[in-house]
This record gives sequence, C-alpha cells and structure tokens, in this order.
Amino acid sequence: MLHIKNLHAGYNGLEILKGINLKVGKKEIVALVGPNGAGKSTVIKSIFNLAKITGGYIFFNNKNILGLKTHELLKEGVCYLNQGRTIFGNLTVRENLELGARLIKNKEEVKKRISAIYKKFQILKKRENDFAYTLSGGQQQVLGLGRALITKPKILLLDEPSLGLSPKLQKELFLMIKKIKKDGISILIVEQNAKKAIELADRTYLLEDGKIALEGSGGFILKHKKIKEVYLGGRY
Amino acid sequence: MSLLLQVAINGLIAGSIYALVSSGFSLIYNTNKFMHFAHGASVAVSGYFLYGFFAIIKLNFFYSLSLTLIFSALLGLLIYRIIYLPLQNRKASNVILLIASISILILLQNLILLLFGANVKDIEFVEVKKGLEFFGAVITLTQIVILLTAVLFFIFLYFFMNKTILGKNMRAVSENKELASIVGINSRKISDFSFLIGSFLGGAAGILIAVEQNITPTMGTILMIKGFTGAVIGGISSVPAAVLGSYLLGLAENFGIVFLPSGYKDAISFVLLFLFLLFRPEGIIGGKRRTK
Ligand SMILES: Nc1ncnc2c1ncn2[C@@H]1O[C@H](COP(=O)(O)OP(=O)(O)OP(=O)(O)O)[C@@H](O)[C@H]1O
Ligand SMILES: [Mg+2]
Repeated sequence: MLHIKNLHAGYNGLEILKGINLKVGKKEIVALVGPNGAGKSTVIKSIFNLAKITGGYIFFNNKNILGLKTHELLKEGVCYLNQGRTIFGNLTVRENLELGARLIKNKEEVKKRISAIYKKFQILKKRENDFAYTLSGGQQQVLGLGRALITKPKILLLDEPSLGLSPKLQKELFLMIKKIKKDGISILIVEQNAKKAIELADRTYLLEDGKIALEGSGGFILKHKKIKEVYLGGRY
Repeated sequence: MSLLLQVAINGLIAGSIYALVSSGFSLIYNTNKFMHFAHGASVAVSGYFLYGFFAIIKLNFFYSLSLTLIFSALLGLLIYRIIYLPLQNRKASNVILLIASISILILLQNLILLLFGANVKDIEFVEVKKGLEFFGAVITLTQIVILLTAVLFFIFLYFFMNKTILGKNMRAVSENKELASIVGINSRKISDFSFLIGSFLGGAAGILIAVEQNITPTMGTILMIKGFTGAVIGGISSVPAAVLGSYLLGLAENFGIVFLPSGYKDAISFVLLFLFLLFRPEGIIGGKRRTK
C-alpha cells in the first residue's frame, strides 16, 4: 500500500536519507528503529512532505504522493502523528478533535466522528471541555491519536508515540495501536523502545546512518546479532 | 468622589483606545511571532482615511467609516504581503522583520506628512457639546460611544476567536505553527487574516481618536508605544491579556496625573513598560497557561 523507492531526502543541502526502500502493506504494522539521528523522523517527514526530497519515489495505493500538500495527503488517507507535542494545549479537547476533522465539511458527520472517538477513548469524553494542557502526558497522547484517527486514515505514521510515557502507559498505548490495526489501518511506527516496537510490528526495518541496515519479521530481527548488539544488550 | 469617578472614566476611555491598538498588535504578534510596529502607522493612516473620505471627499459619515475600516484592514494585508512575506520567504530573521516594521512606521508617517502637512487635523464630525453630568463627573456622548464601541469589538473578537473555525485555526497557529500545518491548516492564509483583522481593530482605534480628538501625522508612534506597553503589562502572548493590560495602563496614567503634572502621562507609561520588561516580562496574566 505504501511503497518507498530509493528515497533520497534531507534538509536544505544536507542529505540525510541515502536511498531508502520500504514497504507497508495493508493492515500491517511496520516498525522503523535505529539510533538517534539515524533519520527515522526524516523518513516519516518525507512521506508527509515536510523534508526536502532529492530523489526517489513514494507511492501510496499505486499513486505517486510525492510533493502533495498536507490537506491532499489527508484526503488520500495518510495521517501523521509527529514526534513530541501532538496536541494544542490552549485549545479544548473537543476543539483539538474538531481540528483533526477540519477537512470534513458536513457538521453532523464531524459530530458523529467525535462521538465515535469518545466511545473509543472515554477519558476524552470526560475531559471534553477542558484545555488540553491540563491533561496528563498519557492522556495528551491519546488525544493526539484521537485527533489523527478522526480523519479515518488508511495509514497512520507514528513518530515515537511512547516518548515520555511511563512503562505502564506505554503498554496501554501499544495495546491501542494493536486495536487500531484491527480496524484495518496500516501503521508505520518509529520507536526508541526497539524491543517493544519489534514485538508489536509485523515487520521491522533497522535504519542506520540514512540507510536500511536490516529488514525482517519480528522473530528474525530480535534474534539478529546486529540488533542484539545495538539495542537489546547494549545501550537500550 | 467625583474626582475619582472622573479619573476612572478618563482612564477607561484612554484604555479603550489603547486596548483596540493593542488587541490588533497582539493578534498579529501571536499569529506571526514578530512585532509589527508599523501597526501604529495603520492607526494613524486610518484617521487620515476618515479625514479624507469625510472632510475632503465629503462622503456621508457612515460610508466614510465603513470605507476607512475596509481600507485599514487592506493596508495591513498589503504590508504583510509586499514587505513581510517576501522577507520571510528569504528566511529573514524576526529582528529583520522588526527593523522592517519600524521602517514602514516611519515611511507611512512621512507619507502622511507629505500628503496632509504637519498641522493638526480635526474632522469636525461632532461639535463640542457640553457633556452629560452624573455624580459630578462629566462624560461626552462621543466618549460613551468610544467605551461601548470598544467593548462591542472585544465581545465580537472573543466570539470570533473561540466560536468560529477561523478563530480556532488562528489560535492553533499561534500556539504551534508546525503542528498546525501537520493538521492541514494553511498558516499563510491565517497570517493574511491576522493582518486583516488586527489592522481592522487598529483602524477602529484611529477612527475613535479622529472623532473624539484630532489627528496628527506622528500620532501612530505614541499610540503604538501605548498599545505595546498595554500588551506587555497584561501579557503579550494572549489577546485578552493585552486588552486588560491596556485598560490598566489607561487607568494608571490617569490616576498618575492626579498626583503628577499632566505632562508626565507618557512618562508613566514608559516607566511601567520598563518595570514590566525588567521584572515581569510575561505580564500580569502571561505565563499561567502553558503555551508551546
Ligand atoms: N529541520 C532540520 N534541519 C536540518 N537538519 C535536520 C532537521 N531535522 C533533523 N535534522 C538532522 O537530520 C538528522 C536525522 O534526524 P531525524 O530527526 O530524522 O533523526 P531520528 O532518527 O528521528 O532521531 P531521534 O531518535 O533523535 O528522533 C539529524 O542529524 C538531525 O540533526
Ligand atoms: Mg525522530
């Protein structure tokens, strides 16, 4: 469904990605792991047209989506949850969800979708009129997810969604992501917590220095010497 | 008692004007994150627009008023589009934009000077009437109109920012431009609207001054300083805070000159500006809410 071919990208003049090939299938969770600064965020940003692309192709459902504007990407069903702050603290919970649904013109439809999100994440319903900055870190991340899901995306690009969450909340978040997959949404997830991400994912790519160093299913990757060296035994 | 009441009324009238200037300035600042000091010139120019339409072309007052507001808003947009935006596209820093804004302020003031001369202009819409008296204090009809107009504009602004989609988008861009673009908000368009609406508010201030007092080419500079001071006192990162700060400034100035010679009015505001910048740069309300 998502197909990245020989992608070169970076930021004004600086090449970060040096020929990336990556695929995400239908209803598949794909993890992208790698050390700090490897270019993981840049891969996702390239898909969402936020980095400078100097070569290669990005296809989504056999359509070239390279260079599309944000609202066009959203219409295609591509949604992106960035690294770090994913919500507007000075807007209420409901307003954040409304912003997520801003491309939907039919007001009744927006209301319906917001109720659907409330059903999924009941904490959001409880806090709907509170400013989002009053939510806890975990709740904020749930709100971010809700804001993304309200667009009914076909693929969700998640950049370190577990960042700053306690282990317990991380676990809950990963469970949520599994549920999202069951709803038929493909997911490309970038994670610092490599082991968790690999276990969650159907397939994993290891990115090192702007290149894919390793690719495979969870079992294969977890047993691989290189992953063991870099992540499981070593620093992480 | 009647003196206190009179001083309070005067303070609120001055505060209304400052608050109109300051709300527009703060709206533009928060959306675009640079100081649009040429906003002061927008205020002055709108006074001259009104003078031109009403006293020179002799249109009826309400046409003059509407045209002035429209032209003020468009002037703001024009400044953004032909000066700031090209600079931003060339990756100019906010300091460069600040310098540009001061240059535009000076340029526009000199343009007024060139076209209308240096002397004070009076649009003579209302003849000086004796004010209404109550509890020993005097307030003119024009002044009542000023107070009500300002309040009406702020209610309108509040609803716009909190209840309309455009207003919500504007708050989103103010808080986090990058995230706003990720959810698909076109921040360029929002900047356009911030200049339109901010300059519209500035235009309203210019009109009220022109009607109540008179206009001079350089009035924009001092009004800009007052509006800026009001914004700093209240908290520059929020429009309602800037409005509140401006009313406080109006009151402080007028209560101050009960004890000091009236020539010290501007000095009071400068002293307050420095005190706040030194000791509470986030303002009275600012800093409570987490932005960014
Ligand atoms: N906007 C930018 N302009 C210039 N360079 C950037 C920009 N964003 C990232 N970089 C650089 O690109 C490289 C890759 O960054 P990227 O954010 O993709 O890494 P990452 O793998 O996501 O790292 P992390 O685990 O820290 O999130 C880094 O060297 C970074 O300094
Ligand atoms: Mg990253």
